[in-house]
Formats: sequence, structure tokens, C-alpha cells
Amino acid sequence: MKLMTGNDALAWGALHAGVKMVAGYPGTPSTGALASLLAMNPPGVHVEWSVNEKVAFEVAAGAAWAGQRAMCTMKMAGVNVAFDSLISIAYSGIVGGLVIYVADDPGVSAGMAEQDSRGFAIMADLPMLDPSSPDEIYRLTQMAFDLSEKTGSPVFVRLVTANCSSYAGVNVADNPPVWPERKPVLLHDINRFTKAGSAICMTQHRDLIARLEKAGQWIADAGLNPLRLGKQRGLGIVVGGMVDSYLEEGFEIAARFGFIPSDASLLQLKAVHPFPTERVRALLGHCDTVLVLEELEPHIEKGIYVEAHRLGFEGRIVGKLSGVFGRIGEYGISHVVKGIGAALDLQIPSDLFQSKTDAEKLAAARPITVCAGCPHRGTFMAINTAIRKAGFKKNDVMVTGDIGCTILGMNPPFNTVSTEVSMGASLGLAQGYVRAGVTTPVIATIGDSTFYHAGIPGLLNAVQHQTPLTLVILDNGWTSMTGMQVNPGTAEKFQQSGDTRLDIAKIVPALGIDQFWIVRPFDLEDTTKVIQNALKLPGVKVVLAREECSMPAKRRGLEAGQIKVVEENCNLCKLCIIQTGCPAISLGENAVVIDENLCYGCGLCAATCNQDAILVEEVTL
Amino acid sequence: MTNDTSRNTGFTKPVTYDIYLVGVGGQGVLTIGELIAEAAFRKGIPVNFYPTKGMAQRGGFVKAQLRLGRATIGPAIPEKGADMIIATEVSEALKAIRYVKPGGDFVLFAHVWAPTAVMLGKAPYPTLDQVFDAARDALNAGGRIHCIPEESLPMFEGSPVPDNIYTLAVALKQTALGELLSPADVEQVLRTRWKRGVERNIFAFQAGLGAQSHEAVTQ
Repeated sequence: MKLMTGNDALAWGALHAGVKMVAGYPGTPSTGALASLLAMNPPGVHVEWSVNEKVAFEVAAGAAWAGQRAMCTMKMAGVNVAFDSLISIAYSGIVGGLVIYVADDPGVSAGMAEQDSRGFAIMADLPMLDPSSPDEIYRLTQMAFDLSEKTGSPVFVRLVTANCSSYAGVNVADNPPVWPERKPVLLHDINRFTKAGSAICMTQHRDLIARLEKAGQWIADAGLNPLRLGKQRGLGIVVGGMVDSYLEEGFEIAARFGFIPSDASLLQLKAVHPFPTERVRALLGHCDTVLVLEELEPHIEKGIYVEAHRLGFEGRIVGKLSGVFGRIGEYGISHVVKGIGAALDLQIPSDLFQSKTDAEKLAAARPITVCAGCPHRGTFMAINTAIRKAGFKKNDVMVTGDIGCTILGMNPPFNTVSTEVSMGASLGLAQGYVRAGVTTPVIATIGDSTFYHAGIPGLLNAVQHQTPLTLVILDNGWTSMTGMQVNPGTAEKFQQSGDTRLDIAKIVPALGIDQFWIVRPFDLEDTTKVIQNALKLPGVKVVLAREECSMPAKRRGLEAGQIKVVEENCNLCKLCIIQTGCPAISLGENAVVIDENLCYGCGLCAATCNQDAILVEEVTL
Repeated sequence: MTNDTSRNTGFTKPVTYDIYLVGVGGQGVLTIGELIAEAAFRKGIPVNFYPTKGMAQRGGFVKAQLRLGRATIGPAIPEKGADMIIATEVSEALKAIRYVKPGGDFVLFAHVWAPTAVMLGKAPYPTLDQVFDAARDALNAGGRIHCIPEESLPMFEGSPVPDNIYTLAVALKQTALGELLSPADVEQVLRTRWKRGVERNIFAFQAGLGAQSHEAVTQ
């Protein structure tokens, strides 16, 4: 047994199922799975961070069409990006095995939507497995490949933050099966692999529905949704995915209030789609009350209502639709206990799991900001100053933001960026503001990886329609927010063997944009001047603010400079703190203090100081 | 620590121990959880360790939930469920208080990492007494507060020892966690986890084990 995260377990599961290639795009909380495979560097397996989730999915699907076992990985928002191709490939089915790993985030620990990807499985008519513990993730990932290959269907494996980022013991096989090398196949079958005409599409639709039915049979035969009928005909509990792991403990607590676990029936759904009709009907036939425990949307619960109606079930169904639970946030032990209490009318004290929240209200607000040494700090400071120097009030200028570290510009002390929507949306939104008749400059900000991912089409659109805007690309050379993954713009020496770098500095002029400048955001004066100048010009203007992310640079022992505080000059005016918000600066008794461990030597604090109290010394590397 | 055979339910409860950890990204609070998890795992105790970093690379709120002793276990600790809170920042400690079990242990390394607005005098920061009051209220009778002042960190070769290792040792020595794990269990992990700084970490760990009681006087 090894101690590992659910993401690691998924990676091992895929590997031990003979996966030949894996592609993904980083996104918390899914990132660890592909990162784990990259670190393992398994021989004969191609692993890549693709440019976006749609491409990752297509790369994996292509490999599966050529007969291999393939996997793609993404967070829930990535499924939205991949979905165009996903629907189409679901219609076609696959030749080898294809697993789509998606991580949902109930409780939003990573800051996006509480999107329930089970809805995508329903919409795409694709089977979805929804394991609970890391050990189960390891086993079910392997089964997902078998299911995929046996039915010719892509299969979703859905995890949530709580299990993909949890470390637990996993029984990883010491002697995993050895998978014989498969020769790729080339099938030239337009009836399967194109959508040319209604006959083809409707036949594919029919085949798709048949595959899902076959998957349901395979899942039933494999016993993936175990049903245990209780001693009594009373309560039946249906539990989906992650919530299963809380049952044992919840049962123990509910037992203190009169619940008898062996009396109750239990249906544990590890395969949430297709809907386990037969199992649910068996449960409904045995029980008079059904409790449904599932996070986020009431997908299972609604399916149970349908079967209840068809069977003429007259009992109660307890869940979200009955008002006992909401659709927001993670489930835990308290939900199990509360649900049992509601279903059996037990007297359970309402404050059993409820403490006072007054203490938290006393906690100091801690808005997240960019790291010490982050080049974006300089860019945000420069944008703010440029707006002011160009003669505008800050609130009269719209700066759209994008996904990734660049969004930290929304927080103090910068308050630069006002929107965050989805990958690449800064560009489209900015054009919308212009077309709405905004006459002040409109600025879009986007990071390097986000630019490659979905920013380029937006920029093409601005060029074609000659929509006047200033795009600032904050290029730090890494996909940093998710933990410094390599992207197309990462320096050549950090690219995987055989890969090559695509330089934004070459892409932008190639789009016919001649108002293009490259600045170094640690040079605050020059960066400000260039942006200020750009704001005055007509047409599409692009400023590439380029400086490496300080995190990987520091790990390699680099620093931008050495900062020295001249104590006798510091008058504690706090200007450096107010303007930079740098976590490395704090107030000392007589002067500001720089935390040497945090400081990268970017010098932005020195640039704000008008007392010559902070000096930057160049470092020789 | 729970280890009772309840007459009412017929269940034999396993020996379980739940720890809720909070701090600021970059402080090494997640490392405390990893070390305990690893030590428990090596000893054959079932573990689930659920760190939540959010978007914080450094300087943001981080928390982790460590659950020991149950083979089938959900990662999240309910309110009033944690046997121990380990907090490494005064203000962030407040965010953990509602998770502590009445009668549990509250271990605080009393570091203040002031957000910018606090440094500028534009936002309030809680006092240590406010944190203690809230903790006492949640802990009830039998609960204990252990407060490690920053200046109590011993020096090793001219600089203070790693506070997270020291805090871990205090928690191990002065709470019921020590009934599940021995100092040797944790020390073994400390010796193998990092290639560099082993002496420094072991010194911090030993110092924490040998520290006088950090229990705050309850009123």
C-alpha cells in the first residue's frame, strides 16, 4: 500500500490499465494526475500538457480511434471547452479505450463554478464513474478503460476536490499486468468518423444510445453499484460518489439517536450514468422512504422520481427536492446524519455539528495577492499609473481580466482588473465594451498560457474588425497559478525532450499587429511609459510584459537583484507597502523590513520610494 | 481520542484522531500534516489527509484536514469534530475554532502575519486574547489551549529552528496524539523526508518534545 493522492491514484490506475498516451490542461484540482504521470515519465507512454482541453481531448480521442488506450485530464471548466468535440466523438464512439478525467469542485476551493459534470455525462450519453476513496479511484480508473473498450464508448471518471487532493493508502499493484504493444490501426469509415448527412448522424445517435445501454449492462455485471436490501422494508439510502465515504461514520452517529443501520437498504452508486434503473426499482420495491445523498445537483434524485412515478411508489423521497438539502457546497458527515434524521423523523439535536461562527468574523481579511517577486506586480502598477498619466480616472477605464495569476490584479493594492469569466474572455469582453460605445481606452489583460489556450481567436477578431483596444499580455513563461506547468511559451530548455517553444513575440506581429512593444515589468518607468503611449494610439495595440515567474526562478537559485534598506533614509511613509502590497515588506520600528527569504529582488519597492531608502543592487549571475 | 465500545449502538469504534490545521501559505503548516500522515501511514494507521491550498501560492489562507484511524473515511472534519486544532497564525486560528471538539486541544504557534491593510492601519487584527476567548468557548471544560510564543523558538546555529517542526513536536508531546504516534515514529519520517537540514529539523523536533508545557492558563 502506498500513501498518495486521488490524482496520483488515477495516474497509477491509467498506467496499470495500459494507457498509451495522456493529454490534459492544468486546472485545480485536476492538475496532479497528469503532473504525476509526467514525473513518472513511464517508458512508451506519451504524456503532454496540451494547449487547451479541447485539443487535449482530441489528441486523446485520435489515439483511441487509432486503437490505443488514451486519457485526457481537466477540471470541470475544461469540459466546457472540450465539449464541442466531445459530443461529436461520443456519437462516433471509439476504437481503443478513452477515459476523460474531470475534477469537480464542490465548495469551490479553487475559485470557479460549482459545476456538476455529471450533467455532461447525461448530455453526452457517456458512462461516468464516480469513485470515492483514492483506493477506489485506482481500481475504477482501470475499470473505466475496460468499460470503454468493451462498449466502444469514451468513459468519464469524475472526481471531486475532496478525493482527488486527499492523500490516503492505495493498494497499487506490485506486479501490474504487462500490456502488449498495440499497432495503431487506420480505419477509413466515414459512416463512423464524420457527420456527413442526417442518415450518418442519426445512425450514430442510435448507436450511441445502444452503447450507453450496453455500458449499463456492463456496469451491472461488474457490480459497480452494489445494492443491499435491509432487514426492514423502511428506509432505503441512495448515495453517490464521494459521499459514500461518510456513511460509516454518519451511521454510527445516527445510531445514537435510534437509527438501526442493518434495517436500512443501501444503494451505493459508483457509476452514476447511465442511470441504474433496475437497482433503483429494486430499492423502491423494498422501501417506503428513500434518502438520496449526492453533492451539488439532484441528478440521481430526479431519476428516482421518474422510476417512483413509473412504479406507482407512494413513499417519501428525501433529498434536495424535498428541501432537506441544498445544491451548494461539499457534503460531509452532517449531511448523512441530517438526512437519516429527516427520513426517519429522529430527534437529532440541530447543533450536533453546528458551532458558533463569531470567531471567524474577527479574523483579518487576507485578500490573496501576487507573490513577492511576481512580475505581474510591476505590470499592474504600470497599468494604473499609465491610466492616470494618460489623463483618465481609474474608474473611467475598463480593464478586463482573465484566468490565472493575472486575475490577482483585481485585489488590493492594485484593484486594476474588473472582470474574470473564462479562459480568453478578456479579449472578447474588451471588444464588447468598445462596441458598446465606451470612448475611454479599453484594456484587456491575459497571461501567457491563457493567451495560447483561448486568447488568440479573440485577438484575431479584434484585428479583423479593427476594434481599438490595448492588450497587455502578462508573460511569465509558465502556467503558474496551477503550479508552474510548461506551456508553449516556456523557455526552450524547460520544454519536454523533442518539444519546441512558440514565442508570443513572434506570434503577435504575424497577426498583422505592428503596434507591438515588449517591456520588462520590473522596469516600472519604461513599462508605464509604453502602456501610457499605447493608450493614446488608435487600433489594436499589444504590450508584451515579459519577465519569468519568480517561483521557478527562485527554485533555480536566481534572483533579480539584492534589496537593501537604508534605515536612516526611511521615514516610514509606507508608500512601498501601499503601492506594491508585497508580502516581503513589513513595518519595522525605524524602517521598513524586507524578508530576505521571500524577496526576489525585483526592485519595484525601490521604484516607489522617494526617500532613497530602498536600493537595488544588481546581482552577477 | 475516541475509543469506546458503545452499548447503545453495538459498534466497536476504531481509535480515531482528527486534526484540523490552518495557517498561511508558505508557513509550512501543510508540512506538519504531511509529516503526521506519513508517520501514521508507516505505522499502519489508516490515514486521510486533505490539504486545501486554494489559489494561495504564498500569503493566502491554507487549511488541511487530517483524519487518522478509520479505513473508510470522508476527508472533511465536521464542526465540533476535531480532536486537535493546529494553527500557525494568530488570525487564521480563528477560522479553525468551530471545528474543535469540546474537550479537545488547541495548539497555536502565535505568529502574526499581518495582511497589508492591517500593516497600513486600515483594517483590524484580532488580539491573542480574542483568539483565546473564542477557543475557550468552543473547547469547554477539559479542553486545553497550547500557545507557543514566537520568541520561545530555540536557536540552531544562529537562527530560530523551523517553527512548524517545533510546533509539531509540542503537539505530539502535549496532546493525545502522542498515544497514537511515538516521537520515534515521527522522527523517522523527519530523517528520511529531506536530504538537507536533517540536523536542524531533528534539533527543532527534540526541542519541541522537551519544551515546557505551553498550556495557556484557563480562566
